[in-house]
Amino acid sequence: MTVKRIAFVQELLKFMGLEGRLHLEWISSAEAQKYVDVVTKFTEKIRNMGPNPLRAINEMKKAG
Amino acid sequence: MDMVKAAKELLLQDKVDIFLGYRKLDGHQIPHGFTKAHVDDLDQLEISLNRYPLEKIACDLAQKDPALKIGILARDCSQRALNLLYTWDQLNPENIETLTVNCCPSPLSTHGDCSYLTPKPTGDYKKAHGVDYNDSPKDFLANHDSGERLSRWMYEFQKCIKCYGCRNVCPVCFCKECSLEHPNLVEPGVLPAEVPIFHLIRATHMAGRCIDCGLCEDACPAHIPLRMLYREVNDAVSDIFGYVPGDHIEKSPFSIIGKTVELTPAPMDV
Repeated sequence: MTVKRIAFVQELLKFMGLEGRLHLEWISSAEAQKYVDVVTKFTEKIRNMGPNPLRAINEMKKAG
Repeated sequence: MDMVKAAKELLLQDKVDIFLGYRKLDGHQIPHGFTKAHVDDLDQLEISLNRYPLEKIACDLAQKDPALKIGILARDCSQRALNLLYTWDQLNPENIETLTVNCCPSPLSTHGDCSYLTPKPTGDYKKAHGVDYNDSPKDFLANHDSGERLSRWMYEFQKCIKCYGCRNVCPVCFCKECSLEHPNLVEPGVLPAEVPIFHLIRATHMAGRCIDCGLCEDACPAHIPLRMLYREVNDAVSDIFGYVPGDHIEKSPFSIIGKTVELTPAPMDV
C-alpha cells in the first residue's frame, strides 16, 4: 500500500514542480549502515536542492 | 418527447419510486425528483447542457431509505459515477434505473452533447501565468520546467476562496469525514487556504476516484482548472496501475491491500 501511494504522490508532486523531495526506501532494523547511507544521501540531496520554495511563497502571501 | 414517455413509464409501472431529472424553477434548471403521485410534472422535464450531480442526490436518498428505487437521467459521466458508487457500496445497482442522454467527450467516450463540448476559453493572462483549462497534463509537464510548473499552479491555487464547492458538487465525494475539514490538516476559518496543501489533499483523494465529469471545474468560482489537475491524477493512476475509475465495477488499487501491480520504490537520483 505504501509503495502504491508514494509512487502516486511522487507523480503528483512532479506535476506541481516539487519533484525529488519525497523518497521511499525499505530498511530493516538490522540494516544500520543502509539507514545511515540513505539518510545521509537524502539529506545531501535536499541540501543541494535548497529550501522548499513553498515556504517563500506562503511567507510572501502572509506579508501581503 | 421520448424521454418524458420513458420516465413516465418507469414511474407508472412502479419500476422506480422517484425519478431524478431537471425542471425549470424561476428560470433556472434545477434537479427535481419526479414521483408517481405527480407524474404529469414530467411534462416539464428539461434536458439541456446543464448538469448537476444527480447521483449524489441518489446517494443521499439511498442513505435515508436503502430500499428506495431511483431512476436517474444519466449522462456518460453519471454512468461512470454510478459504477464507482456501486463499487464503493454507496448505491445498490438493483435499485437504480437510468435513462441515458447524450453526453460529453472524455477519454472513455467521444460523442456528446454537454457544456463541455465547446472547450472552456482560457484568458490571455491565465495562459501566460496560470494553467490552460484545455492543456493536456502531459503537454503541461513537457512544456514547462519544474519552477514554472510550481509558479503556474501556485497562481491558480492562491485564488482559492475555500468554498468547498469542488467537494460539495463532486458526485464521488461521499466520505462521512472529510480530510479537508480536519483541523490538523486544514486550519479552520483561515483564509486564504494554505497552498498547495488544500488542493493536493483533494487531488490525492481523487486518485482512483475521479470520474472526470468536470463538475468541480464548473463549480469553482475562482476558475481553478481542477479538471485538468484531476486529469493528471487519473493519468498517473492509469499509467501506474492501469486503473480507470468508473470504467467498470472494479475496486481501486488504493483500496486493495497487497499488490495489484509489481512496484518498486523509485531510486533516489542525486
